[in-house]
Formats: sequence, C-alpha cells, structure tokens
Amino acid sequence: MAAAVSIQGLTKTYLDVWSKTEIRAVDNLTLEVEEGEIFGFLGRNGAGKTTTIKMLLGLIFPTLGTATVLGKPIGDTDAKAQVSYLPEEAYFYEGMTGWDTMDFYARLFRIPEPKRSERIRQCLKDVFLDESAWRRPIRGYSKGMRQRIGIAQALINDPKLLFLDEPTSGLDPIAHAELREIIVNVGRQGKTVFLSSHQLPDVELTCSRVAIIHRGKLLTSGKTQELTAGDKVEITFSGGDAALAEKVKAVAGTCEAKNGTCRVPAVDPQKVNDIVDLIRGAKASVVSVVPHRRTLEEVFVDTVMKAGAN
Amino acid sequence: MVTLAIAKQTLEDMLRRKILLILLIVAVAMIALGPSVGFLSPRESSAVLRSLGLAVILLAGLLITVLTGIQVIPTEIERRTVYTVLSKPVQRYEFVLGKFLGGLFTVFVMIASMGIVFIGVLRYQEGRFATEMIQGVMMTFFQMTLLGALAIFFSTFATPVVNFFLSFGLFIVGNMSAVTESLLNNKNVATRLIAGAVHYAIPNFGNFNIQNKLIHPQVVIKDMNVFIMQNIAYALIYSAVLLLLAIIVFDRREV
Ligand SMILES: Nc1ncnc2c1ncn2[C@@H]1O[C@H](COP(=O)(O)OP(=O)(O)O)[C@@H](O)[C@H]1O
Ligand SMILES: [Mg+2]
Repeated sequence: MAAAVSIQGLTKTYLDVWSKTEIRAVDNLTLEVEEGEIFGFLGRNGAGKTTTIKMLLGLIFPTLGTATVLGKPIGDTDAKAQVSYLPEEAYFYEGMTGWDTMDFYARLFRIPEPKRSERIRQCLKDVFLDESAWRRPIRGYSKGMRQRIGIAQALINDPKLLFLDEPTSGLDPIAHAELREIIVNVGRQGKTVFLSSHQLPDVELTCSRVAIIHRGKLLTSGKTQELTAGDKVEITFSGGDAALAEKVKAVAGTCEAKNGTCRVPAVDPQKVNDIVDLIRGAKASVVSVVPHRRTLEEVFVDTVMKAGAN
Repeated sequence: MVTLAIAKQTLEDMLRRKILLILLIVAVAMIALGPSVGFLSPRESSAVLRSLGLAVILLAGLLITVLTGIQVIPTEIERRTVYTVLSKPVQRYEFVLGKFLGGLFTVFVMIASMGIVFIGVLRYQEGRFATEMIQGVMMTFFQMTLLGALAIFFSTFATPVVNFFLSFGLFIVGNMSAVTESLLNNKNVATRLIAGAVHYAIPNFGNFNIQNKLIHPQVVIKDMNVFIMQNIAYALIYSAVLLLLAIIVFDRREV
C-alpha cells in the first residue's frame, strides 16, 4: 500500500537567541504513514509534533531531510488540494460568521457553486454544529463550537489526508467524546488521519498505529495493538496445595493465593507451558491464561521515561 | 479566484474595523462643513473647499493606506489564520497579491466615498462638476496604491511599528521629488550622486501632488492627460516591482 506520508531524516533546528544554543525541535525523524490509517503522533508538550506537521504542510522549512505527502514533495499544490489541516488552536477571522468562514475556505479549494453551498451544509451537519450558529460571527462561539467548525473546514474538500493537531485538548467531556466519534467516522470513510495528541485514551481507541516522539526524536512506532500487547501473561488457577504454590513461585517468581484461587500476574510466555503442566500435574485446574495488556498510557510513560533517563 | 477570495476576505475584515469608519466620518464631516465656517464669499468658500477637500482626502487616505498596508500580512501571521490559508492549495504569491488587493480595495472604497462627497459638495457650491478635482482625487488614489505596495513589501520582513516609520519616512522623502530632481544638476558631485540615488530609488510620491497645480492654475502643465497617464503608469509599474519583491521575500518566510 502506498504511503500517505513518508518522512526521511526530517530535522528542524532553531537558534535560541538568548543562550546561543541550537534547539533541535525535530531531530532526524523517519516515519511512514500508510493510506487509510488513523495514525497517532504522540509526544509531550514541546516534543516537536506541531513543528513536524508545519514542515509537512510547507509552513516552515526543514533544516535537513525530505518528506512526501500523498506521494508529492512538500508544498505541492495538487497534494494540498487533497490534504487538510486543523491547527493546534483553531484560529479564525473572528468577525466572520461560521457560514462565511466555510465559504472562504471552500473558495480557496476552488469549489464552485452550487457544490460549494452543498458541501458547506453537509460539513457543518457532519460536525453537529447547531444550525442557529451558522450565521453568527465566530467571536461568539464556545471552544467546542470553534473546534467543530475547525473540523468542518478540514472536511470541506473531502480530503484524503487530514492533519489534526491536538484536536481534543481543552474540550469538555461531551464535546470531547463527540469529536472523537467524528474522527472515527472520518477514518471509516477511508481517509488517512495524522493525529497529533497526548490524550492517550483517545489515541488508544481511535488509532491503528502510533509513533512516540520525545525531544524531536522518534522513540518507537508500531501498531497500537502490538505496542500495548504486554510481553507477559497472567495465569490464574484454583485448587492445589501450598506445595504447588511454592513450585509455581519458583518458576514464575510470584504466586498470590487468595480464597482458594491463585494468581500469577506476570509470566514469561516461554514459561507458560511449564506452569500449566505443574498445575495440571497437581490436579489443580487452570482458570485462565490471559495475555497481559498494557494501556497506551503505560507504554507511553515507560518509553518516555526510559528515554529521559539516558 | 483564490486571490480574489483572499482580497474579499481582507476588505471585509478591514471594513469591520471601527477606526476606519471613524476616520471616514471625520473626513466627510470636515469636507462637508469646512467651507460653511466663518464669513466667506462664495468665491473664497469654493477655494477653501478645493484645497481643504484634497488635503483631507490625502491625509485620511494616507492614514488608511499605511494602517492597512502595514498590518494585513502581519495580522494573519500573528493571529495564525495564515496556517489554515497557506495549508490549502494557495500559492504564496496568491496570498500576497490577495492581501495587497484587499488592502487596495479598502483604500479605494474609502477614497471613493470621500471623493464622492467632495465632488458633490463642490458641485453644489460651484454649480458644475470640477473635472480637475476628480483628477486630483484619482491621483491621490494612485499615489496611495504605490504607498500601499511599499508598505506591503516592508511588511514581509519588518514589524508593523518599524514599517510605519519606514513607509511614512519614505513617503515624506519621496514627496520632495521636485527638490531631488532639481539637485540632479547640482555642481557638487556628491550632492548629485545622493540626489540621484534618492530620486531614482525612492518612489517619487511628489509627482502625484497635482493639487497645487490645480489650485493655482498659473502653473502650466503642457498636457494634463499625458501627465496623469505617465503618473498612473509610474505608480503601476513601481507597485508591480514592489509586489514582486514582496513575493520573493514572503516565499522564503516561515509562518
Ligand atoms: N519558532 C520557534 N523558535 C524557537 N523554538 C521553537 C519554535 N517553534 C518551536 N520551537 C521549539 O521546538 C520545540 C517543539 O515545539 P512543538 O513542535 O510546538 O512541540 P509540540 O507540538 O510537540 O508540543 C519546543 O521546544 C519549542 O519551544
Ligand atoms: Mg503542538
């Protein structure tokens, strides 16, 4: 499958005017985003997420490295026609109404009437922006409404690829959940989403693949499933005597007995068979063998802490 | 189409600013009420109106042009609305041209509004349309076109405050084009060189001030139409060069 975004050795350095030192906002980043996936681009504040996206959109220029977007070099107008962007904070012309804002952006995509009005109506409905707000100036919009119109403008050209920079930060729980739903829907339509975020539960729910960056460097990337799949297995069994528990403990390291059930929380996969054999040999019964899942949050914290220690 | 969409957005954004409305009201009030102050004979009153009208239009036009020119692009960057615009299939030259045209439409709307009131009041006073005054207003507009292009060019790399002084400063120096022109024949080589550099590098804003020539008809211009056409061509060509430079600078600018 073709790559929607392909980044090779992308680097951006800024010169800090006060300390005269170089800040590597993005450091030799290499990354591929496949077509059709919702890709989570994770990192703490200041990790370099926004800088990367801005380079991919041609708003700022890389110090080193190259990238292609939809198979075209950065800044290519044909590619941009099929791309859209929701900046970190949605910035608008405050005096313009929601409708006129959409109309302006639709014109920038050269969408002619009557298709333009149709698209605007459709997109505003897709993001559940209340119809009474369409003709009101954006100045009076709430944060949630702004984010909705921000997404709506990012959908106006029916894009193949969307760059969403922290779209859910700062929203109330309801608006948050709705927005997440909108993003999932966008993904279902086969669009590629490049989602920068540090809202890890969201990312875990929506993204099929993620990358974690820290201080501009890529720490890890992979399928969400695989990253959160722990390398340990949890075994529980019932029955058996203290001797069995001791034997299991000798192999697995721990064995917690409680109300006649024993739990072995973190077993190396290679040892699973041995332990099961022990249990069955002692005529006790295996209740469950469950692969340990970590939350994305745990994966993230682990990965970043490890990198921070170096 | 993209350029015009940006121009339209810019015009609407500028026209929502109260400061422009206030300027317009003050200017129109001065033009309309100026001649009726004091005890003036109809003849005097008409002369006052002629010089006052053009002066007010020039002054208001100047403020509007500089305020618009120094801010249309920096405001986009400062408020980060530029991110959304430039991430769309918009070329940077289209953005610069759209911003310039939007500013120019704003200046046009303002000068045209003041001009219509001015010519209307004059028509009431003198009982005829003063064609030469229409020409005078038109010259002010082209002078402002050139000044606007200059401010847009500076705005691609200078802050609005620096730009304000740069644009105003060059406008004043450029207004002395008659002086620098006469110095081109000075005996001193250094004077000639400096005068030459100033005269050819800085837009000759002074050439557009045909007011004096209109108010004092004894100053003879061989052919008014040719003179006007020359000035318009000068304004358009010089503006085009400034816009080209603005585009070259902005193309490399990080936003
Ligand atoms: N224009 C700039 N000048 C200097 N430093 C910058 C500039 N833009 C970003 N940075 C720095 O680059 C780093 C990455 O920033 P950013 O990409 O905004 O992070 P994120 O979006 O992941 O929170 C930060 O340390 C930030 O301070
Ligand atoms: Mg950011």
